[in-house]
Amino acid sequence: MESFFSRYRNLVVLLAALVLQVIGLAVQVRKPAAGAPISANSHETHDAKGVRLIRLWASDLVTPFERIIHGSREGATGFWGNYLDLRHTREENKQLQQTIDRLRLEQASLLEDARQGQRLQGLLNFRQSYIYDTVPAQVIGTSGSMQSRVIVLDKGADAGLKPDMAVITPDGIVGKVRDVFPHAAQVLVINDQTSGAGVILETTRIRGILRGNAAGQPQVINILADQRIQAGEKVLTAGGDQIFPRGLPVGVVEKVERDPDRGSFINVIIKPAANLQHLDEVLVITSLDAHLSPQQMADLKTSEELKGAEVAADAERKKAAAEMAERLPSLTDPNAPVDPNAKPGDGKTDTGAPLPATVPATPKPAPALHPDRFSPGGAVSAGGAGTETGNGDGVDGDVKLVAPRAVEPKTAPKKPQTANPNTAKPPVKKPPTAGRVQ
Amino acid sequence: MQVLTPDYRRDLEIRRYPIYIYVLVPLASLVLQAWLPRLMGRYSYFDLPLLVTIYFALNRRSAIHGTLLGAVLGMAQDGLTQGAIGIHGIANTVCGFLAASIGVRIVVENNAIRMVLNFLLALLSSAIVVFITRGLLGLGLEWNWIDQVFKAVGNAVIGLVVFPLLDRTQIRD
Repeated sequence: MESFFSRYRNLVVLLAALVLQVIGLAVQVRKPAAGAPISANSHETHDAKGVRLIRLWASDLVTPFERIIHGSREGATGFWGNYLDLRHTREENKQLQQTIDRLRLEQASLLEDARQGQRLQGLLNFRQSYIYDTVPAQVIGTSGSMQSRVIVLDKGADAGLKPDMAVITPDGIVGKVRDVFPHAAQVLVINDQTSGAGVILETTRIRGILRGNAAGQPQVINILADQRIQAGEKVLTAGGDQIFPRGLPVGVVEKVERDPDRGSFINVIIKPAANLQHLDEVLVITSLDAHLSPQQMADLKTSEELKGAEVAADAERKKAAAEMAERLPSLTDPNAPVDPNAKPGDGKTDTGAPLPATVPATPKPAPALHPDRFSPGGAVSAGGAGTETGNGDGVDGDVKLVAPRAVEPKTAPKKPQTANPNTAKPPVKKPPTAGRVQ
Repeated sequence: MQVLTPDYRRDLEIRRYPIYIYVLVPLASLVLQAWLPRLMGRYSYFDLPLLVTIYFALNRRSAIHGTLLGAVLGMAQDGLTQGAIGIHGIANTVCGFLAASIGVRIVVENNAIRMVLNFLLALLSSAIVVFITRGLLGLGLEWNWIDQVFKAVGNAVIGLVVFPLLDRTQIRD
């Protein structure tokens, strides 16, 4: 056995290393639910303790050096430039040339400082006008892998950063915080293939999910082919992912490509609003609760006072209208007692039952003193078949006119059977005074 | 073929380095791998931890050394990404083992051989990463092979410059 291990120890060590790492991978990868498609996000979002420990070690190993390099980059650049510029200068002009170069370097340094000051001023102005709590941070590193679009910030848990916080710039969104360490944090940028953000196209109002592609470009996926989507359309955050506030700029549509796997779907390639390749300063949204300036608070208070006065006046008007309605009697009181002496046709049925209050009384012309053939209902025709108007039930004040015999058809058209059996009534035998208004 | 096979005992001897080189060079490769893409953006076609793994595996001519160094550096690389720990670890482990196994059979001082080895092992590393990501983990990530070829070329060119510099740090008898 000993000779076996000593003979194949290289292979044994290789297999052991591979097996251990494969087991580690199997532990980390979450098995998707039954029937659910395997997605790029199927590994655990929140790492196990051991995995997090490895990430913490890697971050602690690299981040301090990145911080030092980032901090001394300007000085090193100046030193290198100074070295190159002055190395081959003639001795007699050395002092003068050094002075000139020093002034140039100082000017360049001041110019860079001024530019940085302008950038920071812009960031500060944006932060002050922004209603959420934010923490400014500097980008000091990346993941170093083309398959992993991750940046490293110089702020961590000590600055109040937590996972899943949104990272933005005044130009647009950048990504979300993934892992937080004591003095650093990893941010998953929106052009990573495992990232995801809910977005909406500004004009067409089409919603989708933002995700990176293999080339490192953010794209909106799972969109049905739509001719209305054109290059140049703005893309905003939709606000439904509980990470990015609604309405933040994401970018503009660069081009539309057909999904190679699903023909009816398209991928909308986005040109990000923020320069994701060269990020310097970013803002991390630490709280989505409204954080208003004193001026904004005063405006809000004034608005609420005005709104309260308006609501009170509206309530007062409604109360006055209710009191007025109580004092004034209505035109048709459904609770009024039935008048037994009421004549037929004055709002009551033939049986004397009162009409429902909702049925309006049909105006009736006054009966003619000497009816003739031109009088309404004046065509005297004994026993002639008449033409009914209304529904013929005599309830709703129908006027029953009797047509002259000359135009009377031999067989009077039957009234169509009413679908509702309750309203269908047998034909009423007309009294001999037919032709009068009933 | 004469160029490939070692003729002298000197060609097969194990190169030794000061202990700080074993610490600083891998650490520098990790830091630069994480920091340089900030300056170079999407044109950062290199994999410095893999390059360091190959260098020490070739020159130490120890498969165990190459395997363990590749595993540690690869896992540290994974720790800086949002991906699962072990993806680059396995790739660098295999590359370290193969580089050490090749190093005992051929002359590794030749620059052309070093370039070819760096190019091929970088491509193999990318292929292993793809296999693990898609095959083992089932993650539907897109892949751009042109980028991987550029990365292999970048590693070959950088190795051409860095390997002779690292050769100077070895302990002479």
